Formats: sequence, C-alpha cells, structure tokens
Amino acid sequence: MSIMEYNGGSVIAMVGKDCVAIASDLRLGNQALGISSNFQKIFPVTDRIYLGLPGLATDVTTLRELFRYRVNMYTIKEERDIEPETFAHLVSSTLYERRFGPFFIEPVMAGMSKTPSGGYKPFIAATDLIGCLNFAKDFVVAGTASSKLYGVAEGLWEPDLEPEDLFETISQTMLNAVDRDAYSGWGVIVHVMTKDKVITRTLKGRMD
Amino acid sequence: MAATSVYSSPGFDFSNQLRNNFLTEKGLPLPKATSTGTTIVGCLFEDGIILGADTRATEGPIVADKNCEKIHYITESIRCCGAGTAADTEFVTNFISSNMEMLALTHGRKPRVVTAMTMLKQYLFRYQGHVGAALVLGGVDATGPNLFTIHPHGSTDKLPYVTMGSGSLAAMAVFESGWKANMSREDALQLVKDAISAGIFNDLGSGSNVDACIITANHTEMLRNVEMPNQRVQKEKTYVFRRGTTAWKKENIRDLIVSEDVTPVGTEAMDTS
Amino acid sequence: METSFAITGKGYVILAADTTSARSIVKMKSDEDKIKTLSPHLLMAYSGEPGDTIQFAEYIERNIRLYQIRNNYPLRPPAAASWIRRSLADSLRSRKPYAVNLLLGGYDTTTYTPHLYWVDYLGTMTELPFGAHGYGSYFALSLLDRYHDPEATLEEGLATLRRCIDEVSKRLVVSPGKYKVKVVDKDGIREVEL
Repeated sequence: MSIMEYNGGSVIAMVGKDCVAIASDLRLGNQALGISSNFQKIFPVTDRIYLGLPGLATDVTTLRELFRYRVNMYTIKEERDIEPETFAHLVSSTLYERRFGPFFIEPVMAGMSKTPSGGYKPFIAATDLIGCLNFAKDFVVAGTASSKLYGVAEGLWEPDLEPEDLFETISQTMLNAVDRDAYSGWGVIVHVMTKDKVITRTLKGRMD
Repeated sequence: MAATSVYSSPGFDFSNQLRNNFLTEKGLPLPKATSTGTTIVGCLFEDGIILGADTRATEGPIVADKNCEKIHYITESIRCCGAGTAADTEFVTNFISSNMEMLALTHGRKPRVVTAMTMLKQYLFRYQGHVGAALVLGGVDATGPNLFTIHPHGSTDKLPYVTMGSGSLAAMAVFESGWKANMSREDALQLVKDAISAGIFNDLGSGSNVDACIITANHTEMLRNVEMPNQRVQKEKTYVFRRGTTAWKKENIRDLIVSEDVTPVGTEAMDTS
Repeated sequence: METSFAITGKGYVILAADTTSARSIVKMKSDEDKIKTLSPHLLMAYSGEPGDTIQFAEYIERNIRLYQIRNNYPLRPPAAASWIRRSLADSLRSRKPYAVNLLLGGYDTTTYTPHLYWVDYLGTMTELPFGAHGYGSYFALSLLDRYHDPEATLEEGLATLRRCIDEVSKRLVVSPGKYKVKVVDKDGIREVEL
C-alpha cells in the first residue's frame, strides 16, 4: 500500500479533433473506507486549461491552492492568461523543486492553446510526481486506475474524434477502467473543451 | 510557508521532507518516479560524433511514454543522451544547457564539450547519486570531437564508443563487434541504429523507435525517429461508440465566447458641447 | 473509542461527539465537551491524540475569534474550513505534527446554507452531506447512506442521529456511552438533549 493509493482516484485526458477532454472519478477514501462521492480532482486554471490532480488528497488541495497562487501572479505580471505549454512547465518545475520531498500527486493537464494564426489547438500533458513532463499526442492517464486506463484507452482511442464522440470514448474508457479498480469510482465527471465552450457532465456510474 | 514570497529561493525545497518521513514511518512506502530504462549510445566516426537513443519511458512495468525524446540539447554542437530518473535527466541537461549559453555569451566564443562534462559531473557529484542521471555527452568543439559518459555519482569516461542504460550490454555487444576507427558517416549511423535496435529488441526497459543525432564540426543533424520498427498497424475496425451510449446525470455548458448586447438608452444624442 | 458524527439537513448541521476522555485503557472523564464553538455560526468537533486535540482546538478557537474582533465579522464556514485545513497541513510539515481529526459544521448567514466539512490530520478536506470520524464511522456511514435526507427537518435529523448512536452502541465492542449533541442553524448554536 503506497501513499499514492491512500485516498484513491484517477484522471485521464484525451485529444480529439479541435477539442480535448479530461475526466476523473469522484471518490475520496481512507484506504478501503469511502468518505466522499463528490471529491473534485479536476480544476479550471484558466478558461482554456483544466488541471487534474490525482494522488494524496491533502496534496490535491495544497497544490490546487499553490497553482492558483502562481497562475494569479503570472496573470498579474504578464497581463494575459497563461498558455497551456507554459502552465505545463510551471507544474513541472513546481514539482521538481521538491525533488527530494515530493507532493504525492501526478498532475494531468488538458487545454486549448493559441496558434499564431489565432486559432486553437488541443493540448494535453501529464507529469510524474517529481515533474517529468509527458506530452502525448493521444491520451495521458494517472492515478490508482492508471494501469487499467492505459489498456482501455489504448484500445478505444482513435484520432480526430468529434467532441460528442470524444465524450463517449473518454467516458467509456473511464467507467470501464474504474470498475476494475477498487480505489477509484463512486461517480465520474467529464469535461469536454472545444474552442468556444466547455461541456461538463456527471456520469451515471457504479457506486460500489 | 515559503510560498508567501513571490520569488522562490534557488535550489531544492525540502518543506515536505518531515511530513514524507512521517508518512513513510507509518508504513506507506514512497512511490517510484518515471525512470527511463534505456538504451543510449554514442560513437566517434571520421568527421564527428553520432549519438543514439531509444524512445521508451517506463514507470515500473508500465510503458509511460512510447515516443519520448532522450537526446537533449546542450548547445548547437553539443548534445546529451539521458538515462535513469526521467525528471533528473530532463532538468539536469536543461540546467547545464542554460549555463553553457550563459558561458558562451560572457566569453563570446563556443564553450567546449569538456566544460559541459565538468559542469555535469560536479553537479552530479554534489548530489552524491541522489540526482539519478546517467548520461552520454557528445559534441564537436575547437579541440575536435569529444565523447563522454557521466555516471550518477559523478564519475566520467572518455572513450571512442560508449553505451549506457539498461540496454547498454546489448548495444555494447554490437559496438564491440562492429566499431572501427574512422568509419564513414553511413556506416557509423548504421552501427548506431543496430546498437539501439539491439537494445530495443533485447532489453525490456527499452523500446519503440530509434533517435539519432549526427554532430560534425559545422553541422548538427537531429534524426528524430530515424527508424520506426514498432509502428502500430492500422486498426481493422473503429471502436467509436454510438452517440448517447453513456448515461449522464447532470450537464453544464460553459460558454467561452463572451457576448454582450448593447441597448441604447434614450434616443437623444450625447451632449458634447 | 472516540467517535463523532455530523449530519446536515434543511438549514442546519448537527454535530455529535462522545464525551469520554481516555488515557490508555482508563476512562479519565465521562463528560468532556469535544465540540468547540468557533463563532456564532460555526462548530468544530475534534478527536485524535489527547493533548494535541485540545491544544489545536484552542489555537483555532482563539484565531477565529481574533479574526472576528479585528474585522467585526466572523469568517464564513468555507473560509474558516480552508484556513483550519491549511493550519493542519502546515503542522504536518513540522517536527511535531498535531494528530487531530475534525468535523466542521457551520451555517453561512450570507447564503443561508448549512456547510459540513470533514477534515483529517493529514489536511484532507472535503465538504459532505454527512460524515463521521473514529471507529463509529464504519457503522454510521453505511447507515447514513440509507437514512440521510438533505431535506429532513431537525426532528428527523435528530432521529437519524439517534439511529447512528444506537447502532454504534449495539455493535461496537468499545462503544462510548454518552454523546454531546450540538446544532447550528440560522439562529446560531445550541446544545440538544437526545
């Protein structure tokens, strides 16, 4: 039993055609005892960045507050929103700063980044608990169900899914992976982001 | 907490250490970070250096990234392959790359490969192996081509052909049988590809594609994915779900386009006199 | 063993904590009040390492009071909970951390909503419709899953709490005898006899 499994929880992010999606379960546990079925692990950072923080629940809150502070300082200094790529490096260096006393969190990010032509391009990234960045072109996963999520996502994901199809793919990936993980589950929340809106849906899932 | 300052002090932050020791004592072991069980190589040839790497990143038995980049930029004519703890190789090479650029700017000339090697070994020695980076450093400078290996504790070797990482044995076997002094560019590149392939296919920690980097006196060529022997075949069927498959309870749509209606109040023109 | 429960209902939060104070296997006291009144509309039930609990609860109590004196208004429940959590999380990073678990029940007089926060000694915090700490939680949570109603009146809420207490008394080997029950709603805080 590792610290990473103490509270349970998983997050996944996927790329679609001009859209991204990020999903998490809603369980908060104390080892095997379930405490909450509405524990949010995904937070909006800017209008176009969502950050998922699976891992030790106390660090979920601490890091959420730390990133809110650092992003606010960035926004005030730069007088503009932080870009997803920049934010990914902010996350990475914040975690690596604590290389020898880490936070027990494996962040997952999803967002839409501005292109020079003024459009938006999907962006996802994840890091390990000491901030090693992983920019994937398809999907990234983290949390207690990560091994299951890798498998299901590898089978179900395909390129250029429309927002509504991406919603189905990420939802089914999450629901089925989480059903095979004792420490994740108790409801799922999904965010699908396109260039002009974010659709948030709470799924009907198993409550065991 | 230290976070109240806008500027954070340089170096590592140990504020979580006491808590983490406390949690470990409670019988919750510390988790493992992403490590690159890797095959990385480098060899000399007639007019420079070729570096090679596989592209698999692992987290225990799980393949975390199937196509990561392990040949890191130091300067235009110096590159560095990294094995070991992924975050450490990434940050240590970034850090040295910055310092090399600063050195180039202050002295107005290109810094040498030995300089990068010395900076790396002194940094790694200071951390007594806790910064887990095993590196192959190669480049061409005023003194000619240079190739080094740097171990996590700070020891270094200068050799004509080197391998590192978990696939180093497989790769070295290829080098030992095939390497000759003053090889041609084509032959040397093929040898590097073969060495990395040996790692990819015989070592479980290495996999996916071959990256190579050819550095000569006046040109550096980064060959990303020169060989892709493990491409995934086209799926025979699509697995897109019919829309409406997933039942959901609540929906909230956040509109990112701010629209505003301007309603003029009164019909009289504004008094601007 | 130490046990505490909390239930939210229509415009109120009920907090209940056992009244035993034990050292090792000895019951030292059986009328200990382990629910502190932090502000006119905020209650905190605490349990954990003896000594740490009182020390930490008093520290929180004084600081919340200080805020009210300085600003002429009390912290709202979400803000207070957030600050208390941070105090615990910072304490955990010190040489001798407080081992204290909390249930924070409050009534937000600006939005007219009850709030209940579950906080443990690691600094884990979450808002809940009902929560519990201690061995009693293993019995109470499943029972509350079945009987809790967010729209229940105070009488119904107290009846549900009664069920929890009865269940724990019946099934837990080392069940506590007496409980202190407090309610917070729009009218403030009061103690209730079950």
